[in-house]
Amino acid sequence: MNLYLGVDIGSVSSNFILLDQNGRLYRKLYLRTLGNPVKALKDGYASISDGLDKQHGKIRAVGSTGSGRHLAAVLLGADVVKNEITAHAVAASHLFPGAKTIIEIGGQDSKIIILRNNIVHDFAMNTVCAAGTGSFLDQQSARLNIPIQEFGDYAVKSGHPVRIAGRCGVFAESDMIHKQQMGFPVEDIIMGLCEALVRNYLNNVGKGKKIEEPVVFQGGVAANRGLAKAFEKILGLKINVPAHYEVMGAIGAAILAREQMELSHSPTRFRGDNFVLEGNFTSNSHECSGCPNLCEVVCIKRDNEVLAYWGDRCKKWESSIKQPRDRLKVV
Amino acid sequence: MSRVGIPRSLFYYYYYPLWKSFFADLGAEILTSAPSNRHTVERGIELAVDETCFPIKVYLGHVAELCREELDYIFVPRLVSVEARSYICPKFMGLPDMVRALIKETPPLIDITVDLSCDEKCFQKDIIRVGRLFTRQARKIQLAYQHGCEELRLCRSLASQGFTMEEAIKMWEGEPMEAESETDLNIGVLGHGYSLYDERISMNLVKRLRAMNCKVLLPEHLGSEVVEAEAATVPKRVFWTLGRKMLGSALHMSQREDVDGIIYLACFGCGPDSLIGEIIERKVRDNKPFILLTVDEHSGEAGIITRLEAFCDMLRRRRNYRSESKLSPYGASLHSFENTV
Ligand code: SF4
Ligand code: SF4
Repeated sequence: MNLYLGVDIGSVSSNFILLDQNGRLYRKLYLRTLGNPVKALKDGYASISDGLDKQHGKIRAVGSTGSGRHLAAVLLGADVVKNEITAHAVAASHLFPGAKTIIEIGGQDSKIIILRNNIVHDFAMNTVCAAGTGSFLDQQSARLNIPIQEFGDYAVKSGHPVRIAGRCGVFAESDMIHKQQMGFPVEDIIMGLCEALVRNYLNNVGKGKKIEEPVVFQGGVAANRGLAKAFEKILGLKINVPAHYEVMGAIGAAILAREQMELSHSPTRFRGDNFVLEGNFTSNSHECSGCPNLCEVVCIKRDNEVLAYWGDRCKKWESSIKQPRDRLKVV
Repeated sequence: MSRVGIPRSLFYYYYYPLWKSFFADLGAEILTSAPSNRHTVERGIELAVDETCFPIKVYLGHVAELCREELDYIFVPRLVSVEARSYICPKFMGLPDMVRALIKETPPLIDITVDLSCDEKCFQKDIIRVGRLFTRQARKIQLAYQHGCEELRLCRSLASQGFTMEEAIKMWEGEPMEAESETDLNIGVLGHGYSLYDERISMNLVKRLRAMNCKVLLPEHLGSEVVEAEAATVPKRVFWTLGRKMLGSALHMSQREDVDGIIYLACFGCGPDSLIGEIIERKVRDNKPFILLTVDEHSGEAGIITRLEAFCDMLRRRRNYRSESKLSPYGASLHSFENTV
């Protein structure tokens, strides 16, 4: 069986998926990155590839995305290294041909992608405010002592959501505490939070964008049914949440990897089990004193072999590696 | 021989050839600060008041660096206006005062006021006043100024051949520069020159785009008549010199067939940017793909790179779709998949 591995390494979560030849999801895995993307990659790869041999599954190509996409590309050997916008767009328009708007909210960032004819037409990512992202909800769920997984269930039970100021995370929090002290039921506060987050998203990320149906809502935060409901209420549009909303970036990367393979007919750059599982990968950084730029140069090693450098503006470290990184050139 | 320090920041990127050749003709030796690097930025941030915009902070870092050298003067002009009925951002007006207040023990500042908004008379007098620091011959000073203006024109014409002002200045100083190679995208890039051409502030925006196989079209590459004519089409005249130039350039680029997309680089906390950027976005958006990138001292390169890559992807795919190639927007045909994820 031919399989395509897609990985999406973000600052909060690391996602892995295997897609089969027909574009069916074969396996998926959602891990917390916990500040250690190297470990997340290795562990994630170990569990997603576990037992593939016996089932005659073979990874034909690898695609990576997310802020750790280059790291993933070095550790696994990727055929496609893509930014998150393109990866999410590919996955959504694959699942919902004709989709016009993608709302993507992840752990630490959020984006909006406008599609026309299945092509990215416009996009925006949040810049400054974290109030529209998953970490904000995480914090609030901890404060309310309700597990984040149950947030959505509470929210949808609400009859009269409380209005909570959503301009900024700090205000939202103090406003929420105030509403709690006034004795509003917790469901209504949670739903109020969801609506605040949606308004915040629409004002910051969605500013000036024409949101048209079909709308696809994806990213880890789409787990929260309260948010989908709040989007529907505020936008007055139907919101589609894909079955595998939390790994859409990885799905996009895998689709792109498959396409790349079909187009190029060259052998995959995937390094294989031994390389990934048996090596000891380390990443460390040092300050280069070669010139006043003082670049923070990151070095990725497998045992004693240097795999990659980055962060050097003049590329003098990067080009010092025997096997140049253009093998992994961003496509 | 007197030594004059010129910070490599802010209006350096618009006027350095004039300044340099003026002072050189008067017999001064010129020293510039190094291109912005981590030290300059950190030093500038330490010195500056928190609310100032990023480019001004960086400028202070440059001045501080020059203060460590043996100098007779540092050139910190007070720019009010460089053309009739138009102004430079008010922050420039207070620059010498800001430097004096925030940096102790600077060499004497040459803080000539440049205000050409009404007439040139005062300015000419001021030039003479500055020149007198170096020579007593008024004629020599006037000639030095004229010569400076010629050198500036020369440098600008170098820039107009497809280079940034930073590169043009290098070429003007005799460094060879390679012309752009073949590219498949043509992107208009707008922003205040001192942000755009300072590799630290812009995070190397122009070079990054070129590395992504894009040709970069800048306001300096357009004729000023075209730019002014376009800028005049908005109902209210923009009285900021740089803002009007950007607006005119944006309107012009948005109508050009050969421009695939437009990028505006704004600085967080910049008053003029928040207005001009917004106007440009509204005017341009319907005609051309557009993104606004905002940078400040905290921005990470990763965010910028992701946006640039996504923007280039988008432009290439939109074009492929338009040219109705058999390729799907994402490479191979998407819909050969069964829709079963
Ligand atoms: S990596 Fe290159 S640019 Fe960076 S500090 Fe070292 S020599 Fe300078
Ligand atoms: S125009 Fe903006 S970036 Fe330039 S000096 Fe003024 S506030 Fe700063």
